Amino acid sequence: MDFEMTEEQELVKANIKEFCEKYVEPIADQVDQEARFPAENIKRLAEQDMLGIPYPEEYGGAGSDYLTYIITIEELSRACAATGFIVEANTSLACNPIYKYGSDAQKKKYLAPLCKGDILGAFALDERGVGDDAAVTAISDGNEYVLNGVKTFVWNAANAGLFIVFARIDKSSGTGGVSAFIVPAGLPGIEVGKDVKKMGLRGVPSSEILLKDCRIPKDNLLGQEGQGPAIAGTALDASRIGIAALALGIAQSALDESIRYSKERVQFGQPICNFQAIQWMLANMATEIEVSRYLAYYAAWCYDQDMPHSKEAAMAKLMASETAVRYSDSAVQIHGGMGTIKGQKVERLYRDAKITQIHGGTSVFTKMVIADNVPGW
Amino acid sequence: MLKILTCFKWVVDEADIRIDAGSRRLILDRVSYKISPYDRNGVEEAMHLQELHGAAVAAVTVAPPTAKSCLKDVLSRGPDKAYFINDPSFTDLEPSQTSAVIAAAIHGDIEFDLIICGEGSSDLYTQQVGPVLAEKLGIPCATYVNKLTYIENENRIVAERKLDDGIEAVSIPLPALITVLPDINTPRIPSLKQVLGAAKKPVENITLDKLGQSFHPCLQTIGVLGATMERRHLMFGAQPEEIGSLISALLKDGVIA
Repeated sequence: MDFEMTEEQELVKANIKEFCEKYVEPIADQVDQEARFPAENIKRLAEQDMLGIPYPEEYGGAGSDYLTYIITIEELSRACAATGFIVEANTSLACNPIYKYGSDAQKKKYLAPLCKGDILGAFALDERGVGDDAAVTAISDGNEYVLNGVKTFVWNAANAGLFIVFARIDKSSGTGGVSAFIVPAGLPGIEVGKDVKKMGLRGVPSSEILLKDCRIPKDNLLGQEGQGPAIAGTALDASRIGIAALALGIAQSALDESIRYSKERVQFGQPICNFQAIQWMLANMATEIEVSRYLAYYAAWCYDQDMPHSKEAAMAKLMASETAVRYSDSAVQIHGGMGTIKGQKVERLYRDAKITQIHGGTSVFTKMVIADNVPGW
Repeated sequence: MLKILTCFKWVVDEADIRIDAGSRRLILDRVSYKISPYDRNGVEEAMHLQELHGAAVAAVTVAPPTAKSCLKDVLSRGPDKAYFINDPSFTDLEPSQTSAVIAAAIHGDIEFDLIICGEGSSDLYTQQVGPVLAEKLGIPCATYVNKLTYIENENRIVAERKLDDGIEAVSIPLPALITVLPDINTPRIPSLKQVLGAAKKPVENITLDKLGQSFHPCLQTIGVLGATMERRHLMFGAQPEEIGSLISALLKDGVIA
């Protein structure tokens, strides 16, 4: 087993770190406090070939691998979780369905602009009240499908140039008829709702999209009719590894800040890092972050080997998100009162961490996936 | 076409160095390495000239074979090829050795119009390799350059040197060597495709037996210890009678003799 990163991966990690110090960190606090979309950095990341990392060059991607992409999300999220998530949502949720299930024509038309960052993509699966099922319909009418309904929690809907929409092609119950569609933004019949005010990842807008007699060509069906659940499942498996990296970056930053602060803060005559209570917290943090890291990297490796990875992705997301929540809490604790003040990085980390236990499959859901896949079950 | 050699050194990342509190020994077992930051400015300047005038750029380094991960790093920053002058004995070289090795590799074998070096390396910072290499090659040298212009049809450069008391502009016919300051440019961060493309660029290995000489040091390093700063918590005033006690304290500590 080779546990070392390749030379290229080491270079990419160092480059992203430098990029974050130069461009991402300086505005991260403002992005959070003003709920501002970091457009200028997304543009720079596109120029750095970072919006379609694991996809082939013929479709506008960088031609790299999933592990390199995960390392990138981790470093970006360490500086600014919102920025990391914008890249992750584009790469894993929007690009992945088109790459895995799209025709060559669809890939050239839609995947290329997403990978190059000419447009950003959004994933429209959730709806009010129905969990995984779909009440949004896509009824066949001649050469077109007509979409009606409301999708909720569409991350980055406000800035999306394209939506992957899951809709039912017939009105009868069950997930049998759910299909996936590529829906370009700005078509008549699409309305993007207002951004909701969020606890964390405030730099990424999240809103509803309302579809009212929105017509798309039949060519925009992704895969086959009824393949929606499989397409969603594939994308979410891939995205779970991305969210594991997001949570990992948040947790790592919590550790970085805690080490730095505990060396500076003097109480009871010495820096608080000298006290065993603090050292034990830091030791726990460092250990569980390392565990989360190797689970996430292993899941990415399985993806790259074309091996089944649903269980590994679920484990990675479960572990990393629990680690991020637990240790962003510890980080605030180590900072004492300072940790609760706006403008302190750990205050933002604490709020950013929570959603990682929820979006892309809640912790409870990931445990179901894991239990389903544990050998001998 | 302008031929540029850009020299770089693979150095310890000083942020990773730990110092043993008791012995002051440097603990280097978990250090990573990087291209010396001043050399990054040198590489960037070479690429700037390539973009403006269409130059051929080759990176050059002297290192032990274990340093080969420096090659993809430097190639990802733009140069078309790299010369890897390597031997296991090429560790902790002195500037006199480094410049002699590069000169030996270049002599008669590698064509160039311009050699660019960083003003110094981020580890030893002797600032000697550039000027000594120029001497050995018998070419003019301008140090502390923070602005460079290539006059294409006259085959010369105009280099602005930032000195303590002002800026000196010098015009130099090629071939020549310059050492550059960090404020000459802002090194780019390589894109992912540039990193992936590095593996495809040619590397020429130059080994010790090809150079046909030995390179002896003229210094002997007796020890390397971490510098410590101890706070003495001594306070002095500026009154005439207190000046005496300040001087005594400095004499006692060996700060002045």
